[in-house]
Amino acid sequence: MSPLGVALATLLSHYRRHPGQLALLLLGLWVAGALWSGVQAINASARDSYARAEALFDADLDRLTPADSRPLDHEDFVTLRRAGLPVSPIVEGEVTAAGGERLTVIGIDPLTLPGDSALASPGAESGLEAFLTPPWRTRLAPETLAALGLSRQAAGGATPRLAGGRRLPPLAPSAALPPATLVMDIAVATQLLGRGDGLSRLVVPAGALAAAPPGYDLERAEQRLAPGELTASFHLSLTAMALLALIVGLFIVQAALGLALEQRLSLLRTLRALGVPGRTLIGLLALELALLGLVGALAGIASGVGLARALLPDVAATLSSLYGAEVGRTLQLPWHYWLGGLGVTLGGLFLAGSGVLWRAARLPVLGLGQAQAWRAGYQRQLGRQALAGAASALLALGLWAWLATRPPGEGLVAAFGLVAALLLAGALWLPPLLAAGLAGLGRWMHRRPLVQWALADLQLQLPRLALAMMALLIALSANLGVGSMVGGFRLTFLDWLDQRLVADLYLRPTPARFDEIDAWLAGRPEVAERLATASGETTLLAIGDAETPRQPVALFGITPGDTLKPGWPLKATLAGREAAWRALTGGAAFVNEQLAIARGIVPGDRLTLAAPDGGERLRVVAIYPDYGNPQGEVLLATPQLRHRFQAASGSLGIVLADGEAARPLASALRTRFDLDTTALRDQRQVKRVATDIFERTFAITRALNALTLAVAALALLASLLALARERRRQLAPLWALGVPRGRLVAVQLAQLGMAALATGLLALPLGLAVSACLVGSINVAAFGWRLPLHVFPGGMLLTLATALGAALLAGGLPSLALWRTPPRALLAEEAP
Amino acid sequence: MLDIRQVYKAYATPQGPLRVLAGVDLRLAAGESLALMGESGSGKSTLLHLAAGLDLPDHGEVRLDGRAISSLSEPRRARLRRERLGLVFQQFHLVPSLDVLDNLRLQARLAGRESPDWTARLVARLGLAGRERHYPEQLSGGQQQRLAIGRALAPRPALLLADEPTGNLDETTAGEVLRLLLELVREAGSALLMVTHSPVVAAPLDRRLRLSHGRLGEAPP
Repeated sequence: MSPLGVALATLLSHYRRHPGQLALLLLGLWVAGALWSGVQAINASARDSYARAEALFDADLDRLTPADSRPLDHEDFVTLRRAGLPVSPIVEGEVTAAGGERLTVIGIDPLTLPGDSALASPGAESGLEAFLTPPWRTRLAPETLAALGLSRQAAGGATPRLAGGRRLPPLAPSAALPPATLVMDIAVATQLLGRGDGLSRLVVPAGALAAAPPGYDLERAEQRLAPGELTASFHLSLTAMALLALIVGLFIVQAALGLALEQRLSLLRTLRALGVPGRTLIGLLALELALLGLVGALAGIASGVGLARALLPDVAATLSSLYGAEVGRTLQLPWHYWLGGLGVTLGGLFLAGSGVLWRAARLPVLGLGQAQAWRAGYQRQLGRQALAGAASALLALGLWAWLATRPPGEGLVAAFGLVAALLLAGALWLPPLLAAGLAGLGRWMHRRPLVQWALADLQLQLPRLALAMMALLIALSANLGVGSMVGGFRLTFLDWLDQRLVADLYLRPTPARFDEIDAWLAGRPEVAERLATASGETTLLAIGDAETPRQPVALFGITPGDTLKPGWPLKATLAGREAAWRALTGGAAFVNEQLAIARGIVPGDRLTLAAPDGGERLRVVAIYPDYGNPQGEVLLATPQLRHRFQAASGSLGIVLADGEAARPLASALRTRFDLDTTALRDQRQVKRVATDIFERTFAITRALNALTLAVAALALLASLLALARERRRQLAPLWALGVPRGRLVAVQLAQLGMAALATGLLALPLGLAVSACLVGSINVAAFGWRLPLHVFPGGMLLTLATALGAALLAGGLPSLALWRTPPRALLAEEAP
Repeated sequence: MLDIRQVYKAYATPQGPLRVLAGVDLRLAAGESLALMGESGSGKSTLLHLAAGLDLPDHGEVRLDGRAISSLSEPRRARLRRERLGLVFQQFHLVPSLDVLDNLRLQARLAGRESPDWTARLVARLGLAGRERHYPEQLSGGQQQRLAIGRALAPRPALLLADEPTGNLDETTAGEVLRLLLELVREAGSALLMVTHSPVVAAPLDRRLRLSHGRLGEAPP
């Protein structure tokens, strides 16, 4: 073996005698790598889905829409083609799979569609002739097969049934398509969706038309928001949480590295004395770091893929319910994902290890063996840490002041910066605060020698425990902050559901039978009120007299009756609730919070919306919360909406008279109008579905938070295990002086519990500040709505209990080992 | 072999510079053994560190095999230590994570001069046969010091520098260790510079010098 190899093997032999430290190092790297790369795997898969969706819809197709907002039909297509324009028709709608999953159907005319569009490529297994002629073909992404209850092997040529009993044309999987999308010939799609002559849009190759033909508006491909842009804030939030986990993991790594180096100071001196140059030693330590890093990072990335696989379905549900963006349920990982994961984990490792290497490089050869020299600078370090904490707090203050001057919904990155600065300030202040507190308590307790010893001893342990405590503080604060935000959101959301879902039954008739059913219900004595809704889409043209960039908005009609009005939440009104409802009935509009924040709309503004008879001007009289809706929405009274925008009828809410039961009426409706199971639902069903969506939405948040907290607890456990042997040596003289082992165990647990309690107490204000940032800035920017800040005393108690629990659990194993060590062995350990 | 000329060394203290060596001259020939004696704090260990290139003099020159150590870069000094010197410390400084055999071979391997025969002989001479796979913490103090001596002599260094090699041992064990040290030094053909405060330990060596007030003088036999 070469001299370099001998020196490296000698350095590494330390871990053979201290496998706990090696495990601690690898654990830190593993969890940091796993959580980071897991989230990046989710983001990479989502981006792959967006890329496919963008390629399908937006990359190269401009859209033509009638300038007067009337619906498009086949006649428009024929007229424009005859005028020599390269337009192609598209029909789009939704169908429900037999399993209940909603799928988007896109009908195309491949003969007129631009040839380089992803839509137009018929795919390897389905030629153009098969696509265009009976029995036609249904092109879909392989991951969509699961929604249809099919495996990939059984997919080719299968004709699965939909919820209504109709069958799809034979399937032809194509990896280029986005998930939850079925592409077929326009003739079949029209038939499947019951569209008649209606078209969803007319498309032309991007840039093919210099200007819109008369009577039409031209929407350029690049003007439309891609799904990737809509969901960018969500992925940023995920990345921030993963970064938090990475940092907590790297804290463990730094703690382990510091400990491993401190225990090898004597070895370093010996090797230097035996002729290994200092620079070579530092190089070898760096090589050791790289070797361990490679093992930990690769294990982390492999586990991250597993984690991503487990979390992806919930994330996909979240993105679908919050943003209407479809993400595949299977992982799609590009090559740069692997390199990126390795790079970030190794980069983080070297960042965590650089401080340790720097300190090792600066130590004089003759002082290397003295642990005192190593620790001498700790007091100075505490001072520097307090100063750095103050700088971080000042940065947080500055960011907060800057954000206060920005319009709501702006400054997402700055808001994350604010959270990071707050957490960093808290973490940096923790060790100086603990040191000062211990010194003060020590003076106060000078008459109780064992307590005084315990306090002084804890001060000595502080340099080694500080990093684990800092990691615990960050994890606890983030957990409390995110927990308060999610808890507050849950309360608000459930209230909001109760206020909005006031009818006993919800019926969704086909547009053709809406009026007939409504008239039948009007004659039923058990029905107290019918809450008809309507919906449509339009374009926002102007706010006040100023034209704005055109934005598609949803239109929704409600029946402002006696049942709905009292509970319907309003965030702001022009002249009070009563006046707002009167104005709505008279033709004014409410807008949802998302749209109001995004476009700066306030009660009193007048909006101009595209309508069949030209632009409709509407006065905004109230802003209402609309949680979970990815779109900006304008609310009108249903009759107004149907009349002025020719909107399609929507659902019918049925409010029963006092004492009437829902079940008999539901059966009567089903029997008389032959309704399928999905057309009629009771209120509890609707609430359950909405609540399920909510719970899934935050499942990943909770999972990542719990994992981060678990990692921090592991960090503490690992640090204590690594210190356990040395601790026993320090406790042995006390035993020799007459302190029983049971008392020593109790002292050790009390020391740790006290430090953890102090950490938990500091986590409370820090967690609340994080929560305030989340609800006040990050949520507004990410989702478009603002939530009230809720404080949960139970959550705060849980935080304290978690801190104590983590510390006592972590201290339990070393304490048990101490309890089991025979007294003689304690002294034997102390001897050398 | 070792030539120290007019070496001065002082340390900074809060009370001002503390002069430890003030114009020390010392010469040691190949195969010769020399005891460096003196009171605690007289600068014996400092002189030994200068001879090993672990520290540098403020003034003067330390030459080993004709090369001025002071003018060498740190990596070259490290190489010189690795290839020409052996060091024995009062506190042993064994590698706790390596077993007896690996500790013994460590410097020879670093120097690229491992000799299995010599190593086997050392194990036997040091009385460590059967303990090869034990770790330092499982050895007695005398065994640990013998192992430290063996490690320093394993590459057959030109010069062995020993700092109070028996300072941590009881009288009987110290005597045994010293005899063994001198025998092995002779077998290895090394020169020996040993720091000690004990006249008994210094007695068997070829020469004895006493360091006092920063200067060297002949010590009584």
